[in-house]
Amino acid sequence: MKQTKAKPSSGRTLKHSGFLTAIFAIISLTWISPLLIVLLNSFKRKAYIFKNPFGISTASIFDGFEKWMAGISKTFVGFLNYSNAIKKTDFWHSFGYSLFITVGSVLLIVICCSMCAWFITRVQTWWTKLIYVFCLFSMVVPFQMVMFTLSKFANMLHLSNPVGILVVYLGFGAGLAVFMFCGFVKSIPVEIEEAAMIDGCNPLQAYFLVVFPIMKPTVITVAILDAMWVWNDYLLPSLVLNVNKYRTIPIAVQYLKQSHGQIDWGAMMAVLVLAILPIIIFYIAAQKYIIKGVAAGAVKG
Amino acid sequence: MATVTLKHIEKVYPNTGDKKKKHNLKVTDEGVVAVQDFNLDIADQEFIVLVGPSGCGKSTTLRMVAGLEDITRGELYIDGQLVNDVAPKDRDISMVFQNYALYPHMTVRQNMEFPLKLRKLPKEEIDKRVNHAAEILGITEYLNRKPKALSGGQRQRVAIGRAIVREPKVLLMDEPLSNLDAKLRNQMRAEILKLRKKINTTFIYVTHDQTEAMTLGDRIVIMKDGVIQQVGAPQEVYDNPVNIFVAGFIGVPQMNFYDGELKKDGSKYCVQVEDALIPLDESKNQHLLAQDIKPQEIVVGVRPEHISLENVPGRMIHGVADVSELMGASVHLHINAVGKDGIIIVPTLDLKQDAGFQPGQKIDFTFGGNVVHVFSKETGRNLEY
Repeated sequence: MKQTKAKPSSGRTLKHSGFLTAIFAIISLTWISPLLIVLLNSFKRKAYIFKNPFGISTASIFDGFEKWMAGISKTFVGFLNYSNAIKKTDFWHSFGYSLFITVGSVLLIVICCSMCAWFITRVQTWWTKLIYVFCLFSMVVPFQMVMFTLSKFANMLHLSNPVGILVVYLGFGAGLAVFMFCGFVKSIPVEIEEAAMIDGCNPLQAYFLVVFPIMKPTVITVAILDAMWVWNDYLLPSLVLNVNKYRTIPIAVQYLKQSHGQIDWGAMMAVLVLAILPIIIFYIAAQKYIIKGVAAGAVKG
Repeated sequence: MATVTLKHIEKVYPNTGDKKKKHNLKVTDEGVVAVQDFNLDIADQEFIVLVGPSGCGKSTTLRMVAGLEDITRGELYIDGQLVNDVAPKDRDISMVFQNYALYPHMTVRQNMEFPLKLRKLPKEEIDKRVNHAAEILGITEYLNRKPKALSGGQRQRVAIGRAIVREPKVLLMDEPLSNLDAKLRNQMRAEILKLRKKINTTFIYVTHDQTEAMTLGDRIVIMKDGVIQQVGAPQEVYDNPVNIFVAGFIGVPQMNFYDGELKKDGSKYCVQVEDALIPLDESKNQHLLAQDIKPQEIVVGVRPEHISLENVPGRMIHGVADVSELMGASVHLHINAVGKDGIIIVPTLDLKQDAGFQPGQKIDFTFGGNVVHVFSKETGRNLEY
């Protein structure tokens, strides 16, 4: 009996090449530079953001080190922009709404869509096939085509609040999620579910104790995709939500621009950083789970 | 620990509109009949093996007992209780699947605990049972591993472990050894035999492998096209197959069949194959006499192990050797005789040192009147029964 750990071979490793490293470093920096500029400027005094967005000091380094250092301390204001931004945008309220809507709609999408996908994959009738086709179709239709009728409709149904918008997000997220879950459910051997039924599960237990944990890789993939989408979404909440009462972070950023004659770029940069931060942390935390063959080992492999 | 009774069980799959008929199953207006009028009484602690070629309805029958398939007609009793409409979880049965069907996200221990936890047994009882089952199956050291870190044989052990911790009334096994390689399969077969001695429960075992059926079963149920062909103890089925299908299905290598004629001389029956005339022995003679069988065209069936190369004048059938396979203890000699291909098993002991068989060599063989099976050419039925 082999006791060795089954370990996927990492394949061949590329030889270290200085040239490639340099190229990729440049590409990476280019890629990340907008974020870095926002981050940099979020700590700068308002006046200097426009004057010299890339600079870190009012003085040139050729004017002497002392002057240069003094320039730096003049340029940066520490967390002043952040406290301003939080005050001006009522940030914590917005953060609360954003968090609630993101978490709520992701949970709703993941649970409802995985259940739906499980059902329409296991029960093959003409109407389950029809549901599947509808889900595929909804991915084809662009949001901009339906957005006005949607906002009207959402108003009629009193969905223009943070709870109601979850339903709207569920509707728009369902297409891709059901499609992805269906693909995965097909790969789960039906015997596992039958074993669960015989072992004493009712259908709900079979779903939550057996099927759902097996679907974990897809659940995480769908959750990441949808969380990023919902958190960053501006258009849909601006159309559906009553923006005077409920402002998600993207809307709050927008209002920061409109509510004052002059735009407070410092606060703008700060709130942008605050808006991006949670989703980046979420992504880094969850990315290692994306598509792991959990089902491997259930059947002969 | 229970009896299982199947009364006139039928399974009909509604027609799916696919008119192409790829099977020999009976088709009615209702649909395709996968299992027809299945009657069987299974005693407490009996080991029943359902065997047959693929598509014969054996798995469907098992799944009906498990409750995974609806029963179209008929009655199913477990322990004297009608369970047609009882959910699988309430039937107190457990099942081992061909592809193991382990829960991949749980460790071996969690897999085995799962059915007990669902039944809300106390923790100590769960631990006791899991440890006991693991000990029986020799998987104690793997209890904390995930299924994917186990080999095929180990996984199947875990699957069996998960089935026996429940101490179910009936233990169902659906081709549990088919995914294993030949060596492991033999080993696990022996383990199932041992396991059977250790746990007192009723077994229903489905396989397409006649060796498993013969070695494991107290009784074998041979099925074809959704119909039971014969039910009996392995030896009985081997000795007295009721028809050509059973005769050909049970026994390796397959029984040889030759066209022949049944002759009757007074009260003596004999079979004629080409110009060989072989009188039947007394007991076979009596059976035929009792039913007043008329002389007729028949199919003569002889097992390869019952054919002899000894020269008996007037009883020899002439054939031509094709290829010979040395199996160690014996030689399987493929032979063409009476227009049919057949196999003769020649024990190596009987062979002279260098008496290899050459392709094309003329071989004369015969068999005794006590081992021959006489089947009606018309119906395929064994004329003795």
